[in-house]
Amino acid sequence: MSEMWINMGPQHPMTHGLWNLRVKIDGEQVLDVDPEMGYLHRGIEKISEDRHYNEVITLMDRCCYVAGMSWEHLYVLAAEQALHVEPPERAEYIRVMSDEFQRIGSHVMWYAAFVQDIGLMTPFLYGMRDRDLVLDLFQSYTGARMTYEYMRVGGVRNDLPPGFIGEARKVCDWLIDRFVEYDQLCLNSDIFHKRCDGLGVMNAQACIDHGITGPMLRSAGVRRDLRKDRPYSAYDRLEFDVAHAEAGDVTARYLVRMEEMRQSVRIIRQSLDWLEHHPGPVLAQELPRWLGAPYAPVGREGYLLKRNYPKGLGFSAIEEPHGEALAYVVNEGSEHPYRVKFRSPVFANVSAARQYLVGYRVADIPPIMGSVDVCVGEVDR
Amino acid sequence: MAGAQVEEKAKPSRSILWVARPMLTAARQFGRSLLRPSTIVYPFERLEDPQFRDRVGVGSGMPIGVGHIWDNYRGVHALNIATCISCNLCAFSCPDLCIDMVTVPGGDPKHAKKSPQIDYGKCSYCGFCSDACPEGCLTMTTRYELSVTKRAEMIFSPQKLQEVFDRKLPMNPVRVERPANEDAILLEPPLCIGCNACARDCPTNCITMLDIPKVEAKPGEKVAKRIWKEPVINDSDCVRCGTCISVCPKECLFWGTRT
Repeated sequence: MSEMWINMGPQHPMTHGLWNLRVKIDGEQVLDVDPEMGYLHRGIEKISEDRHYNEVITLMDRCCYVAGMSWEHLYVLAAEQALHVEPPERAEYIRVMSDEFQRIGSHVMWYAAFVQDIGLMTPFLYGMRDRDLVLDLFQSYTGARMTYEYMRVGGVRNDLPPGFIGEARKVCDWLIDRFVEYDQLCLNSDIFHKRCDGLGVMNAQACIDHGITGPMLRSAGVRRDLRKDRPYSAYDRLEFDVAHAEAGDVTARYLVRMEEMRQSVRIIRQSLDWLEHHPGPVLAQELPRWLGAPYAPVGREGYLLKRNYPKGLGFSAIEEPHGEALAYVVNEGSEHPYRVKFRSPVFANVSAARQYLVGYRVADIPPIMGSVDVCVGEVDR
Repeated sequence: MAGAQVEEKAKPSRSILWVARPMLTAARQFGRSLLRPSTIVYPFERLEDPQFRDRVGVGSGMPIGVGHIWDNYRGVHALNIATCISCNLCAFSCPDLCIDMVTVPGGDPKHAKKSPQIDYGKCSYCGFCSDACPEGCLTMTTRYELSVTKRAEMIFSPQKLQEVFDRKLPMNPVRVERPANEDAILLEPPLCIGCNACARDCPTNCITMLDIPKVEAKPGEKVAKRIWKEPVINDSDCVRCGTCISVCPKECLFWGTRT
């Protein structure tokens, strides 16, 4: 009868960042939605064109503030292909281990934020506590808790410190027990099921049509995981299962993410076993000549262009905690990338909001959007 | 494809027990946290305190953190002015352009000695400067407290960074190896006038001016007016800072591969 548009955002507890969800409502019923992004645009792709290949890595951490390591991995994979560099095998295992720890950190952070959207405060505190262990592990070998700047084109910055592997194993054991606790807190709760079951349903075909990837796609029954389908780094040498569900609703996304964390622990344990017995270099010895030291941009102009460095294109796709992220790096033979392009999974997931929000109630929007796992830093870049 | 179907685990029930059961889990956690708290009393208990550090950690069952590998932390820089060679590499490698080279006492009258001054309002603590430092004099410490009341206090002069060094905090032990096939500095001999500028300004003194035989003038041709010396660069001492290239008046030095 009386339809109206309301703004949820850009400053709203539901948005988890700066973006605006315009909702057309009739009473409690959602008739139409219109997600608006772009409030956090920093021009990272353009800034990258003016930076040294390794300096772009500092920007990648700012792309997604809960999954910085995955974005570093995405960029260095593309840059290595563009620069024709091969990382040593030990560096690949360290990267895989870091990726999986990052996945746990990101999913636990998602869990904490999601249950708070539903209105549960206790699991939020548990989630933040356990995420801190992952951050502490990152800090022990990268030197920073959120902006790691750890991976380099051609490997990683430094080797694992002594005693790290033992600590990482203890953290894995601790986390596995906590995942059981998370399920006890949420799945055993009638309130959780009343709030989440049957909400935001997307079927497999709609997910594929709208480019939705990651846990949202797998919760709809599509067993697609780039770690299996297009293995990068050391994933083809590790054993794990692809978590998937059929229902496609909010509860299914919760379950898929919980199972993914358990699989991540499985991958981490295997890579820790490998890393324990295979010492070696972590940075490639044969780098492009100018990649080692930061050179003074002085003297004869365009000295790098004058000499014919090999050109190249780099493309990489990895399974980020939020979905499939893609990177494209063009090397035109200079010390800066000519063009850098990223594909953010969350952008596609959020853009399809009309498909999974229309028809539900206004009070259902926070749980549904919470289950998408929005990270605005990578949507806008 | 192998897969882990997860849906059987969710069993919604309508019993009143299913409301009370999560509370039991929370109560168990509450009792556990009375014995082993998950937080620390920050200004009084610090993670970098060695006594405290041994007490916490996953090993002791306390969910606080992995306290005892803390030395890797990238915090406020420490600068040892005595070993700084004024090579500018930290300033060149900084992605945020927060490092300025400022004059410090200690140089000879002809060349001022310059050391980094860091603006912590811009610094992102990425550690590229300490990775690039060839002498290891600019390192990062575990100091993480940096609250000031004025913006100007965020700019740390070399003397202030030296004070951090003198406090002997744990240093970041990581040193990044340089790749084996770095570019070297090459000379285009016909352009050189032997002016000695490169050898004079080289921070590592790896350039020596050697005599070269004087070219005899052919009839009807003019020989370039020059001092008959040429720079010879010792690649093993060279830190690849490029100072010589920037001071060369004839642009006869350039980056390249030595054959």
